[in-house]
Amino acid sequence: MHHSIEVRGLVKAFGDVRALDGVDLTVPAGSVLGVLGPNGAGKTTAVRVLSTLTRPDAGSARVLGLDVVAQAGEVRERIGLTGQYAGLDHDLTGEQNLVLIARLLGASRPRAKARAAELLERFDLVHAAGRAAGEYSGGMRRRLDLAASVVRRPEVLFLDEPTTGLDPKSRNGLWDVVRDLVAEGTTVLLTTQYLEEADQLADAIAVIDTGRVIASGAPSELKQMVGGPVLRLRPVRAEALAPLAELADRVIGAETKLEEGAAAVPVAHAGQAAAIVAQVARTGIDLVSFGVDEPTLDEVFLALTGHRTESTSEAEVAA
Amino acid sequence: MTVTTWTTRRGVLAQSASMAARSLASIRNNPATLIEFFMIPLMILLSITFFMGGQMMGTWQDFLQYAGPTIVVMGLFFAIPATGLALFADLESGMFDRLTAMPVSRFALLSGRVTADMVKHAWALLVVGGVAFAMGYRAEGGVLGVLAAVGVVLLFMFSASWSMVLAGLTAKSEDQVQTWMVALLMPLSYTSTAFIEIETLPGAVQWLAEINPMTALSETIRSLLAGDAPGGYLLALLGWCAGAVAVFVPLSLRAYRRRLTN
Ligand SMILES: Nc1ncnc2c1ncn2[C@@H]1O[C@H](COP(=O)(O)OP(=O)(O)OP(=O)(O)O)[C@@H](O)[C@H]1O
Ligand SMILES: [Mg+2]
Repeated sequence: MHHSIEVRGLVKAFGDVRALDGVDLTVPAGSVLGVLGPNGAGKTTAVRVLSTLTRPDAGSARVLGLDVVAQAGEVRERIGLTGQYAGLDHDLTGEQNLVLIARLLGASRPRAKARAAELLERFDLVHAAGRAAGEYSGGMRRRLDLAASVVRRPEVLFLDEPTTGLDPKSRNGLWDVVRDLVAEGTTVLLTTQYLEEADQLADAIAVIDTGRVIASGAPSELKQMVGGPVLRLRPVRAEALAPLAELADRVIGAETKLEEGAAAVPVAHAGQAAAIVAQVARTGIDLVSFGVDEPTLDEVFLALTGHRTESTSEAEVAA
Repeated sequence: MTVTTWTTRRGVLAQSASMAARSLASIRNNPATLIEFFMIPLMILLSITFFMGGQMMGTWQDFLQYAGPTIVVMGLFFAIPATGLALFADLESGMFDRLTAMPVSRFALLSGRVTADMVKHAWALLVVGGVAFAMGYRAEGGVLGVLAAVGVVLLFMFSASWSMVLAGLTAKSEDQVQTWMVALLMPLSYTSTAFIEIETLPGAVQWLAEINPMTALSETIRSLLAGDAPGGYLLALLGWCAGAVAVFVPLSLRAYRRRLTN
C-alpha cells in the first residue's frame, strides 16, 4: 500500500533561488498534511510541482503512486487544486464557472448544470449563482474556487493558503467545508501561514523554510516545542507586574515571564487562564487588558530555528 | 454528496468548443462589447475612404470599389493581436493554472481562444462589410464571390492567429506581444499589393511583394469578389495558411510544455 503523496529529495531552483531544496513529505491516504511556512518558503512551488504545473529539477514526487512528471496526465485525472490565486474566470458567473469545469471534465450539459447546482447549494452560493465571480467577496470567491476543485470528486486535494485574507467567520466556514471533504475520504495537502489553521485541520504538520522541511510531526508535538498558548495580563501600573506573576505561579504552578507591560503565563488550557483571571479580580489588581495568545508561526520559527520569519524581521527593520 | 464520476470523455473539439464558449460568455453577460469588435475596422474604412479616397482615385466611390475590400481586411487585422494579449492574460491568471492541472487537452485550451476570436472577427467582418455595401460597394462576383472571399479572409486570420498564440505563450510582457504583432504585420502589409499596384514598387520590393502572403490574400479576394478565378494566388495563399498552422501550432504546444519547466 502506497501513501497518497510521497515526496523525496525534491529540488526546484529559479535561477539562484532554490525554492525547494531537498523536500521530503509523506501523506497517508485520507489524512491532512499542513505545510506551514512564511512568505517565500516554497509552499506554492511544492503545490505546483505536486499538481503537475511545474517540473522539478531533482528528486521524486508521487501522487497516488503516480509520478507527477512521467504520469502527469493520470495524476491530473485524480487531483483537485485550489491555487493561491483564485482559479476562476472573473467574467463568468459562479454557475458558468462550475458548468465550464464540469463540461471540460466530460459531463453532458444537463449533468454539468445539475452538478453546478449541487455545488452551489453545498457551498452556500445559491444566492450568488448568477453574479460574475469578479464581484464576489473574498470568502465567496474562495468557496467557489474550492467548489471548482471538487467538481469531479478528487482523491487528493491541494489547497494553497485557502484562508489567507479571510475574516474569522469566512475562515471557519471554509474550515468546515474542508473537514467535510476529508470526512468523505479526500486526502488533503494544504499550505498555510497560520499555525492555528494547521492545528485545526491537519493530522500532521511540516514546517518549511527556504525550501527545506525544518520540522514535522503531529500538531500537538509541534505545539509542545513551541510551548502552547500564553495568557498575557497587562496591569494598569507597572509595579503590579511582579505580584501578578507571583499570583499566577501560585494558582497554576506555571513559570511566568515578565514582558514589557505584561506578565506572560504559559497555560495548558482556557480553564487555567480563567482561574488566574478570577484570582486577579479577587485581589483587586487593576488590569488594562488580558488575553490568551495562541502561538504564531513566528514563535514556531523562533523555537525551531532561533530566528524569526524573514518577513517579520523585514517588517521590524522597516518599522 | 453523490460520488461523481463521468465515464464519458469528450473529445478535443468538444473541449475546445467549451473553452470558446467560455471566452464568448462575457459577451452574453455584457452585450455592449459587441460594438468594440467592429469599431476599429469601421473607423479605418470610413476615414481612409472619405479622407484619402478622393485624392487617390478621383472620387471616393471609385476608391471604395477598388480598395474597399482590402481596407476592410486591413482593419480586421488590428484585432489579430487580441488573441495573443488575451491568451497572455489567461496564462497569468489562476484560471489557467486550474485548467492546466486538469485532464484537458492543451490544444483545446489554445484553440478555444482562437475559435472564440474567429467568431468575433466574423462578426466584425459582417458589420463592416455591410457598411461597405451600404456605402455603395458592389461585388461583381455576387453572393458566391462574397462568401468565398469571406471564407478566405477568415482562413487567413485563423492561420495568422496561431502566430499570436505563440507570441502570447512566449512573451514576457503584454508590450512584447504588441511588438511581435507590429513586427510581423507592418512589413507584410507595406510590401504587399493591399493598397498599391505592384508596378509602383521598387524592383527588389516587387519580388518581396510577389511572394508576400498579404499579396496573395489581396489578389485572391479581389478576384473572388470580381467573379474571376483566383488561380495561382489562391494556391499560394492556401500554402501560406497551411504552412503557418503547421509551424505555429506545434511551436505553441511546445511553448506550453516549456512553461511547465519554468
Ligand atoms: N516563477 C518563479 N520565478 C522565479 N522565482 C520564483 C518563481 N516562483 C517562485 N519563486 C521564488 O521561489 C521562492 C519560493 O516561492 P513560493 O512562491 O513557492 O513561496 P511561498 O511559500 O508560496 O510564499 P508565499 O507565502 O508568499 O505564497 C521565492 O523566493 C520566490 O521568489
Ligand atoms: Mg505561495
